Amino acid sequence: MARKSAKIDLLQGTLDLIVLKLLRAGAANGWQLTQSIQAISHGVLDVNYGSLYPALRRLEARGWVSASWASSENNRRARYYQLTAAGRKQLEAERASWERFSQALGLILQSE
Amino acid sequence: MLAALRLRLRALFRGSAMDAELDEELRYHLDAETERNITRGMSPQEAALAARRGFGNPTQLKQEARDSWGRSWLERLVADTRYALRSFRRAPGFAVTVVATIALGLGLNTTAFTIFDAYVLRPMAVRDPASLYQITWHDRGDRVRGFSWRDYEDIRNTREALSESFAFRSIFSRIDSLPAYGQLVSGNFFSMLGVGAALGRTLLASDAAEPGTLAVVVLSYDTWRSRFGGDSSIIGKTIRVRGQAMQVVGVAARGFGGLGDTPLDFWAPATMNDVLFDGDGAFSSHQTEAFWLIGRLRPELTPSQGSAWMMSWLRAHHSDARGRDVPSDATVQSRATSIALTPEFVIFFTPIATAFVLVLLTACANVANMMLARGLARQRELGIRLSLGAARGRLVGQLLTEAVLLAVPAALLGFAISRFTIGGGVRLMFATIPAELGPYLRIVPLAPDGRIFLFMLVAAVTAALLFGLAPALQATRPNIVQATRGDFDTDIRPSRLRNSLIVAQVTTCVLLLVCAGILFRGVGRMQQMEIGIQTHGVVRLDLQEHPGARARVLQLLHDRPDVRMLGAASDPPFGRRFPTVPGGAVNGPVQPISYDFVTGSYFGLFGIPIIRGRTFTAQEERAGAAVVIVSDATARALWPGREPVGQVVRLTIDSTSGALAPFRSRREATVIGVAANVVLGTVIDPLDSPVAYYPSSAENGDMPVLMRVTGPQGLAARRIDSALAQRVPGSVEELHTIDDYMYGGIYPFRATYWIAGALGVIALLLTLTGVYGVLSYVVAQRRKELGIRIALGASAWKLVGLVLGQSMRLCAIGLVAGTVLALGVARLFEANIVRLDTYEPAAFAGGALLVMLCCLVASYIPSRRAGKADPMEALRSG
Repeated sequence: MARKSAKIDLLQGTLDLIVLKLLRAGAANGWQLTQSIQAISHGVLDVNYGSLYPALRRLEARGWVSASWASSENNRRARYYQLTAAGRKQLEAERASWERFSQALGLILQSE
Repeated sequence: MLAALRLRLRALFRGSAMDAELDEELRYHLDAETERNITRGMSPQEAALAARRGFGNPTQLKQEARDSWGRSWLERLVADTRYALRSFRRAPGFAVTVVATIALGLGLNTTAFTIFDAYVLRPMAVRDPASLYQITWHDRGDRVRGFSWRDYEDIRNTREALSESFAFRSIFSRIDSLPAYGQLVSGNFFSMLGVGAALGRTLLASDAAEPGTLAVVVLSYDTWRSRFGGDSSIIGKTIRVRGQAMQVVGVAARGFGGLGDTPLDFWAPATMNDVLFDGDGAFSSHQTEAFWLIGRLRPELTPSQGSAWMMSWLRAHHSDARGRDVPSDATVQSRATSIALTPEFVIFFTPIATAFVLVLLTACANVANMMLARGLARQRELGIRLSLGAARGRLVGQLLTEAVLLAVPAALLGFAISRFTIGGGVRLMFATIPAELGPYLRIVPLAPDGRIFLFMLVAAVTAALLFGLAPALQATRPNIVQATRGDFDTDIRPSRLRNSLIVAQVTTCVLLLVCAGILFRGVGRMQQMEIGIQTHGVVRLDLQEHPGARARVLQLLHDRPDVRMLGAASDPPFGRRFPTVPGGAVNGPVQPISYDFVTGSYFGLFGIPIIRGRTFTAQEERAGAAVVIVSDATARALWPGREPVGQVVRLTIDSTSGALAPFRSRREATVIGVAANVVLGTVIDPLDSPVAYYPSSAENGDMPVLMRVTGPQGLAARRIDSALAQRVPGSVEELHTIDDYMYGGIYPFRATYWIAGALGVIALLLTLTGVYGVLSYVVAQRRKELGIRIALGASAWKLVGLVLGQSMRLCAIGLVAGTVLALGVARLFEANIVRLDTYEPAAFAGGALLVMLCCLVASYIPSRRAGKADPMEALRSG
């Protein structure tokens, strides 16, 4: 239970940023993305799968990622997502704004 | 962006396939997760359960995923459309009424716009029409002046403000006994406008190089088809223009009818001017200003810069002008379309456009009322949907979708109506004008084009917003608590909006009908008015001048037994407004005096009594003696209370002015007679404006010949026409009875009152159905209340009176407003048309009474229903 309580709910809108960042490394399917998030954040970030798939569709509708069917490592058909050029640009923009935000938040929290 | 759109469209049309894709993707995720859980040591069941737990609510997930595809707004639209269509199926009568009503309004407006478009908006079918400008100038005497051939050549060759220019003058002639409109043009006319030949060739620069040498003519395509049957052997043949044999060298490209508002029949070289207009002298040593000028303004110049350049040119080239001949201003006017959109034109067109728009608004008001009523009837449905959480914007959107769905078929039907009214209107016009005048009518093609479709689109959407938005906003404003109870009785007081719509309709109706009434009475008066002359039996003959023809024609007419009297006048009645010259009594104030050059027989010919003195003698006619006959009104104005015969009329003209040359020898003329007052010039001129008649002989050129004939005047005119065609071919330019001219003058008013009347009747019908519909609805809504009133002892008549009173109050407000507006419009009429008696009590009373009666009828039927309200029903449902 203690471990569970250490998990953090995702901030609104940060899931998009995370997905874009992960896809920068290469194409991945939905399940792989959830695994990566857990692994990289050492299990701190708890991604509700229920919000991952709508997020992927949203990114696709905006043209930031493209999707195609391909066979996975266990030889089954899986939907793979890939970053588009527009997505790359969006990632840079979102990363920059996140950094500004976290710096500002850091300043506020450190001030007495 | 494109990929995203593709995705959305795919989502719309292949939604189920995408759902299946999502399912498969989620299944894969579950399986992969389960597998991983198993490798971590869970039992298969446990593993599957844990995997599923990660998802939460799968249905919600799918819905969210679907929404994020952006499928929703399109889906909403489709759903709204489907919903609206279903509701139309439930109430087909409603849908049909709305579509028909709006279509009627839209159709009429499209008709008006089509005509406006054809004349004002459609660019001429020539090269770069936007750069074409006509140059005119005025002198200090405020006369419009043209250009001599020398002027034209100078302007063309300097190329300073105008990169190119051509000269032209209008010419009217009979060709094969039918009237034909043409232009004499400089040789660069066709090449400058980029108009080619459909057959043969167009005019070339070499055609207009030497004065009077090349008698060639180019026909317009339409004329070639209609008059010459599209016969291609026409090339090389000879036709007679003003009696002069001219060789047809070509047919201009299809769709080209010149740059004016009257499609032309033919073009000939400007250098033929002196041959066709005998003795005009445009190419003599003292060149007359016979020509007008149209040029291409250099793109870097504005029209006002162009006119500034023109003024400097005029000052340089008319430096020797004196007095009234000095240039005062130059006008540069666009010729990109038939009629330039000048302020004068806007003033002329606005009342017409307003009348049409008012009808469309009446139709919109009607539909808005129906939609309001329907919206209220659907309030329960809307209320329930609101209380179930539908956003207000969503409901408004849905009602607007309905409105647009009604407007689209209405636009289509309206387009059909407009095509029908245009075709019918043109036919009706030709059918109703005197047959003699039919061949003179020229109408530009009224085919629909992109602008008309755009207009319909904009008008239909605007109409949809007008009739859809207000009711949509109003209908979605119910109190949720009441809505779910289905209890609206406290909210059904006829809204202010609905009342004001009815008032506006009644106002429009009264306005249109009163205007129609004023015009109707006015035209009736014009036909029977005291014009002071006996027009019946007088025939006017305009001759095409060529040497010797006039004398022979006069001799021939003199010898004919059916010609009782022969005379001439420079301005016969009902031709044009009489020209004026400044003058007055000796030592008296100077005022504009209308003048006419007439033969001594003129007064006898028209039965105008000579009240005092005598008419002109033959010697005075021939000599152009310094004598004058004035009208009774003139005599009273110039010499009040004195004997007019023997007085002197002094004209204030300067000696250099060329146009007033005939007055040079009679700057002071002795009054020898006083004639009774008559109408001058046109049907709208007053009876008693001052006029002076100067003597002139019928042999003098340029004066229309007048004759009083025996027997039926139309028949006599035709006989004389054919006799002249045989004996002196090509001598007749026009030959009609004076009555024809008078009808022609009245015709525009007659047409206007027909149009105003038709619009008024349509508006009346719309108002009638509007009042009826709204009251029916109100009565139906108040049935419970009315039933209770009856149960409490109110008499049926009292209830009828209650409902009638309510509608008549609205009607009364509309009547007053409409009458006040009509008074304002009447004032406008009066400012422009002198002979129209605009404060016509019959027209005002008639229009108002008609509208009131109709309102009464329209509200009586629903109100009787109110009297029959069943108290039992009210008590049961209560």
